[in-house]
Amino acid sequence: MADPSDPLSRRRSLGLLLGGGSSLLLGGCALNGWSETVGEATQPLNERIEALLQGKRRLPEFRRSQVEPAALLVNSFNGTPEMAPGSYRLAVNGVVSRPLQLDLATLAALPQQECVIRHVCVEGWAAIVAWSGPRLADVLALAGPSPLGAYLAIRSADQYFETWDLASALHPQTLLATHMNGAPLPLANGAPVRLASPIKLGYKQSKWVTGLELITGLGERLGTWEDKGYEWFAGL
Amino acid sequence: MIATSPSPARGPSPIWTRAFHGFNLLLLLLMAASGLEIYNANPVFGGREGATVPEMFTLGGWLAGGRDWHFAVMGLYAANLGLWIGLLLRRRHRRLAGSGDLDTLRASVSPPRRRLASHRITYTLMLIVLAFSLITGLAMYKPAQLGWLVSLFAFAEPAGHSSWQTLRVCHLATIPVMGLLVVAHVVLSWRVGGLRLLRAMVL
Repeated sequence: MADPSDPLSRRRSLGLLLGGGSSLLLGGCALNGWSETVGEATQPLNERIEALLQGKRRLPEFRRSQVEPAALLVNSFNGTPEMAPGSYRLAVNGVVSRPLQLDLATLAALPQQECVIRHVCVEGWAAIVAWSGPRLADVLALAGPSPLGAYLAIRSADQYFETWDLASALHPQTLLATHMNGAPLPLANGAPVRLASPIKLGYKQSKWVTGLELITGLGERLGTWEDKGYEWFAGL
Repeated sequence: MIATSPSPARGPSPIWTRAFHGFNLLLLLLMAASGLEIYNANPVFGGREGATVPEMFTLGGWLAGGRDWHFAVMGLYAANLGLWIGLLLRRRHRRLAGSGDLDTLRASVSPPRRRLASHRITYTLMLIVLAFSLITGLAMYKPAQLGWLVSLFAFAEPAGHSSWQTLRVCHLATIPVMGLLVVAHVVLSWRVGGLRLLRAMVL
């Protein structure tokens, strides 16, 4: 049934097909060097779509009975820092009218909220966790934020660094969590204060938070992992 | 004027079918390889202690690189597949498998007819599996905004498997399933149309 008029080009075309497919498979290493370029070319559009999709609305939550304590793994880029709850202060500064140093009692006196959400790690695992504490928006409001503030820089006791877009920081389910699954936050999970939110990947949710700085623009550093190549918006 | 053949089934596949087909093959290889790189950051089976995929089959170099490729290609892959399926349904839906092909498999004893029916079922199934990979991928990409999509995968919860784990298994399963279907597809194309059909699709 095959037309015998030009067997060479036919044979060559099949060879090209098979050779092309396998070299793509084996040539993965050669393409690895292009990863960052490919990411930089497409991430701005992806991030814009993510932000549009996110909106400001509250997301549905899970029931307390659905919490999966064993599924929550502990990640840290630099071990676990020593924290002294008694002398703990949360600095809130930047473009605000009243820079603050908040102690844990002040945070506990703010309205407390519990969010039972899926905590999703960039690595691929996820766990349903009940976080509770004051809303990040309420804490920022205490400091009198300037309308020029567009981003939030978050510093941690272990030198972890993050930056968030303000809309995500002010989301009604973004918390400064002090409790996890109904008990005080364990040190390994970020005690005494960590970020918790259903709308961001785990690496955005800094543990051992000690400083919030409202800034007007992003600087050189986007975040500990972002500077190594992770996406900045990291929306869920 | 030369009269054109009234039977479109005999001519080579239109250029758009071949273009979508070739582009899909390329994008699929990139998606699978970068997906396996992401897999290695936390194996679906076994978690941190789980076995990883050999580096030879991965693309990206590390997790962020794998994600760079996976999320760079996903839009193209979705657009290509969506347009292709849309056009096939509008213009060439008679070439897609239907209940007639299942009847053929049940009733016909003619090997060529059975092969043709199997061939049509195989490639139609491939399009369905690819669409499924998109849906499961989208659910994992935006599990908070598209929480309802994740909750569709809660069917294994009575057996102790979270909807998230079920979703991960389903998304990963599209790779081995497509692998088997590709083998069947190539073999059946060869038996049905020989080199002419293979060439008509690839070039």
